[in-house]
Amino acid sequence: MSRWQYFLRRVLMSIPVVIFGTTITFALIRLGPLDPVSAILGTQYNPQAAEQIRTNLGLNQPLWSQYLDFMYRLFTFQLGQSWVIAPGTTAYELIEIYAPRTIWLGFWSVIIALFVGIPLGFYAGLNPNTPSDYAASFGGIVWRAMPNFWLAIMLVTALSQLGTWTNGLFTWQTWIVRTNVVTPPALGFFQSPVEQFLEDPGGWTESFVRATKQIAPAALVLGSASMGNEMRIGRTAVLETINSNYVETARAKGVSGRSLVWKHIFRNALIPLVPIITGEAFLLLGGSVFVETVFAINGLGWLFFNAAINGDLPLIGTLMFIFILILVGTNILQDFLYTIIDPRVGYDG
Amino acid sequence: MSTTTETEIPLRQRVAENPQPALIWAAIGAVLIGAELGAILQVVGAVAGVVVNLIPGDPGASAVQSLQAAFDAIPTLISRDVIPNQGYWNGTGYENTFLGLSPAVAWAIRVAVVYAYAFAVLAWAWNGYKRFRRHYRRVDWTPRDDVVNRFRGHSWGKFGLIIVITFVVMAVFAPTLGPTTMEQNILQPYDYEVSYWSEDTQSVETVLVGEANLGSGSQGAGDENVAPLTYDDFGRFHPFGTATNGKDLFTQVVFGARISLTIAVVAMGIAGLIGLALAMITAYYKGLADLATVLVSDSIQALPVIMVLILMLVIFQNTWVRELYDGAVLIILIFSIVYWPFIWRSIRGPALQVSEQDWIDAAKSFGQTPTQVMRKHMAPYVFSYMLIYASLSLGGIIISVAGLSYLGLGITAPTPEWGRLIANGQQYVASPSWHISLVPGLLITLVVTGLNAFGDGIRDAIDPQADTGDEAAATGGGA
Repeated sequence: MSRWQYFLRRVLMSIPVVIFGTTITFALIRLGPLDPVSAILGTQYNPQAAEQIRTNLGLNQPLWSQYLDFMYRLFTFQLGQSWVIAPGTTAYELIEIYAPRTIWLGFWSVIIALFVGIPLGFYAGLNPNTPSDYAASFGGIVWRAMPNFWLAIMLVTALSQLGTWTNGLFTWQTWIVRTNVVTPPALGFFQSPVEQFLEDPGGWTESFVRATKQIAPAALVLGSASMGNEMRIGRTAVLETINSNYVETARAKGVSGRSLVWKHIFRNALIPLVPIITGEAFLLLGGSVFVETVFAINGLGWLFFNAAINGDLPLIGTLMFIFILILVGTNILQDFLYTIIDPRVGYDG
Repeated sequence: MSTTTETEIPLRQRVAENPQPALIWAAIGAVLIGAELGAILQVVGAVAGVVVNLIPGDPGASAVQSLQAAFDAIPTLISRDVIPNQGYWNGTGYENTFLGLSPAVAWAIRVAVVYAYAFAVLAWAWNGYKRFRRHYRRVDWTPRDDVVNRFRGHSWGKFGLIIVITFVVMAVFAPTLGPTTMEQNILQPYDYEVSYWSEDTQSVETVLVGEANLGSGSQGAGDENVAPLTYDDFGRFHPFGTATNGKDLFTQVVFGARISLTIAVVAMGIAGLIGLALAMITAYYKGLADLATVLVSDSIQALPVIMVLILMLVIFQNTWVRELYDGAVLIILIFSIVYWPFIWRSIRGPALQVSEQDWIDAAKSFGQTPTQVMRKHMAPYVFSYMLIYASLSLGGIIISVAGLSYLGLGITAPTPEWGRLIANGQQYVASPSWHISLVPGLLITLVVTGLNAFGDGIRDAIDPQADTGDEAAATGGGA
């Protein structure tokens, strides 16, 4: 089987996975002990309103037709609306408001984790069993073991107190641009960025820097687990490549140190890092609930959490479907990257 | 190599031929267990009580109660009664504390004795294994010896093991370790009294524990704070300080350790059983069974774990399952359902490899049933891979449970939980009452680091050529 056929098979396999995953969500929402209607009405329960909502949501229909309807709407991207936390607002509008903050957060947490974790790991791998290797490795392990929400609380406190601790020499709030420690990022500059940049380059850059600074602590926390993973895997991968025969051959041929590291070690050591990087999607989605709660960034994780505790079951179904699409899409991306980077993958299924 | 005659001697006879090492070991064991016999029997009594409670009609409840009373009367070495710390200053000296020492010292001695005892028992068990290996085992060497020896040479893994043992001892001996008890300080504070030395009246007075708690909360300002390793105004010693409501933090932390450990181990155990059973079935029958399991497990893995946990906890919030053990039972069930696909995935490859071996064909042709083949000839080879994965995943579960409790969805009051303690002290982190959030968080970090180190040790011991790609998924709690 060629590797592209293998890739195609993986893509086809993901279709039943999406269907089945959405079915599980449907089963949880409609068959679970929590009645969607009483969850929506909460304390203001009265039979008439309940009947009204029941009809609107199609809960009077037989279960199989509810199921088909649920699936049909989601797969044709009729995502419905919110019933409790923002009654009447369509899911599209909500996602348009909340998703950019989470994407911004996710983007920076991937970037920070990549640009700190991988170089540190490679550095440790190239200098194995030295004090700096031990320091980096141990630091990575402890960093990864810290619960996100706790680390977030500690970081918020530390940043707020920096001014007091350094006697006013350095305060996070006034550093470069004025921001609060706990705040949703202002992402207004993203609407038609090119025009705004041409109009007012200085102002645009400032708002870009401000939004980045606002998200940086949260991104650092959210990326902590992946950073630790990338460091460890990077270190092991470099160690394995360094001791492999072809590196030894290249060294014997007289390949220079720099070219050896970049051309022969670096590229091959990247292969085991691919699933770690794409696997970050899982960590980011889950962790976003906690990090967004502590840093008061009202993004998708925060939206999901609030929809859940307020019993907004229709909205939860929609959000869950989108999360499943994101995760399955990331898995396909991972297979795609594998197919490109490593020709050896996939021959024996 | 051993000869056939040797292998046929049963263990009992081998011991009888050379009884000295076994006798010494058994004598030490009798002393160690005898010191705590009462406690062991109390646990048996408690379990019997729970079982009786579950049976409808409560048959023999009175018998169990009298049994429990009898067990409680047996003195044990490590108990609050032998080394009491809840005494008070009467103006000239301490009363009701161990040897008249200060409550802090008496408590420290009790903790030291508990840990000394626990490590003595472990050393005794390890010594028993070595004696068996040296004097009684049929063969000089087994592959398992190599695993044990590799672990003994793995200092990172041993570091993890020590932390894990410390954590487990904390969970097991929680009632003894606390400077006060769950019942007195946390569950029924208004049913108990403490005596204390009042500076104002220069005499010993008594106060309800609940009222004393109100006067010793940690809420930031210098007056309203009981820091770690200090006494409160009522002469009570707090190793980790107090929580915002004045309840002792250390007592809550040790009982929190108990629930975290229970959830992690039981959930991983159930998920492991499901994963192992499915791995056997899919590897044995292949084909459709395998495809169906791939589909189901891929679908469950495609769901974001934390979101599913939140959703399921919300959906089941008003049901009877949620009430059991303050939510722990429900959390265990959810974690088992969510985690089995990861375990099954990690052992599917090895299970398929084993099923291709010649001895499986041989076993089949000898007429062994599929269950027998799976249990006797396949499972033992896959089990070690499952152990590796499970030990690396425990930390992730502990973090997730703490995270859910932090959000207010996990373990509910009155059972203490580390994540809820962190939430409790969140707004006081920058104040003098920083200990409420900091201590549980540091403990989680330490325990998870220890579990990961222990898992690394187990992996390197069992499978020195292990593929390193698995470990990232293993710790993915995401909280």
